[in-house]
Amino acid sequence: MPDAAESDSIRVDHEGMLREKSMRLVGESVGKSRAFQGAAAVMIACLLSAATALAQDIAPLSTNPERQGVVQQAEQTPPGEDQAVYSDPLAPFNEAMLTFNLKLDDWVLRPVASGYAFIAPDPVRKSVKRFFNNVDVIPRFANNLFQLRLAEAGGEVARFGINSTLGVAGFFDPADAWFGLKEHPDDFGLTLRYYGVPTGPYVMWPFFGPSTIGDTVGLIVDGAMNPLDYVVPWYVYLPVDAGWRVGEAVNYRSLHLNQFEEADRYAVDLYGAVQDAYLQTRVHDTKGLKD
Amino acid sequence: MMPMSEMQACRGTLALKAAGRTVAMVMAGVALATVFAAGRAAAAGGDPMAVVQQTVNGALAILRNQQVPAAQRRDQLKQIIAQTFDFTEMSRSALGYHWKQISGDQQQEFTTVFTTFIEDSYLAKINDYSGQQVQFVRQSKDGPQYAQVETNIVASGKDPIAVNYRLLSENGQWKIYDVTVEAISIIANYRNQFNRVINNQGYPKLIADLKTKQQSLAASLGDRH
Repeated sequence: MPDAAESDSIRVDHEGMLREKSMRLVGESVGKSRAFQGAAAVMIACLLSAATALAQDIAPLSTNPERQGVVQQAEQTPPGEDQAVYSDPLAPFNEAMLTFNLKLDDWVLRPVASGYAFIAPDPVRKSVKRFFNNVDVIPRFANNLFQLRLAEAGGEVARFGINSTLGVAGFFDPADAWFGLKEHPDDFGLTLRYYGVPTGPYVMWPFFGPSTIGDTVGLIVDGAMNPLDYVVPWYVYLPVDAGWRVGEAVNYRSLHLNQFEEADRYAVDLYGAVQDAYLQTRVHDTKGLKD
Repeated sequence: MMPMSEMQACRGTLALKAAGRTVAMVMAGVALATVFAAGRAAAAGGDPMAVVQQTVNGALAILRNQQVPAAQRRDQLKQIIAQTFDFTEMSRSALGYHWKQISGDQQQEFTTVFTTFIEDSYLAKINDYSGQQVQFVRQSKDGPQYAQVETNIVASGKDPIAVNYRLLSENGQWKIYDVTVEAISIIANYRNQFNRVINNQGYPKLIADLKTKQQSLAASLGDRH
């Protein structure tokens, strides 16, 4: 069963990281750079084992019997039209999680974000967004580097330098405004796609929202690049990390207060709308990296 | 009583005026015909950009004309959309492989319902965007039959929204068959939704859901004006 294999490899991934972290906690004389290397090695091993499992999961896309007729009339369909149906083996779980997330948003996130939006004016919230963005430079830098996009990776370092100083800890973006240095968003999920690693099935996580198995591995790898995790003990960084993400989510929601209402207004099937929007966006972002 | 000569002169001016009015009307007619011909020539002459510009600018002009009653403006907008949107192609594409599995009558029914749905969605959406500017960026052709026109919707203090129109040439006329917003194809997005509804609950449920959604959109349009 491919699903089990994946969740296994993900669990191994967690354990690997936990092991790394507990080693440091015990206070062994492992240098920080060695810990980082060790974590990276464990994750690469996990990824390789995950890749074989993922490869099996992508298969249903092409073995769908409905797809045969589609291939024959392919020359009649306009460019950009792909009649393939997403394979969605996790649909029951995803549907439950979408419902959970919508309720969470209804009861907690949107009320908090509206209250926050009421207190903090729009420019303040945009500054906060830039601050969170600026701090997340390491995954952006690393993944641009992984894809050999050297100019973009260098641009991220320069942006971080400029915005952390002239931009007052990242609350402003003079790198873009004064020097024309644009941000180059990137993440490990995109690196996997860039190198053709199958993404595996679509999955809707509670709290985190839409993803795929491959993009989830990416989230974990990018999360492991947070330097905070390596300089303070776990009982500090876990709550700090969680608080950080909650703050980021509230700020994001406050800037997009009617986003879900808008989506729901035009959607006939909200699950399908969110799923397709996420998957189309990721495919488009990957194409953008190769241009 | 007026002298004869004056009466004749008076009639003369009246006749002149009448003639003048006729000429003016003819001139206006010619001018209109020229505009239409130019529009058609632009469409036939292989310029998808002109078609998109006419549609978007025409729609915005109608929206900004607050003197015309709302219901009348909505009819005008629908006319503009009907000229340049290829609803049959949109319907076929949105149903994906299911299109060939339903009967001809059902294809007709679906096209009618989906057309009204898309019209009302477009009206609702364009209502929201009336204050912003549309930049026409570029057009690119994909073979003789297909083209894409890129536009940006810009508002101060906000990131621009990339809205691209996909067109196909039908009997020398460019028609819009898909719109992408931030690289998300709207028709592909609906295709995924419709696939799911048909596969899980069947085609009749899809028609019912579409009708419900369209009615709530139409109602929200009524509230806005």
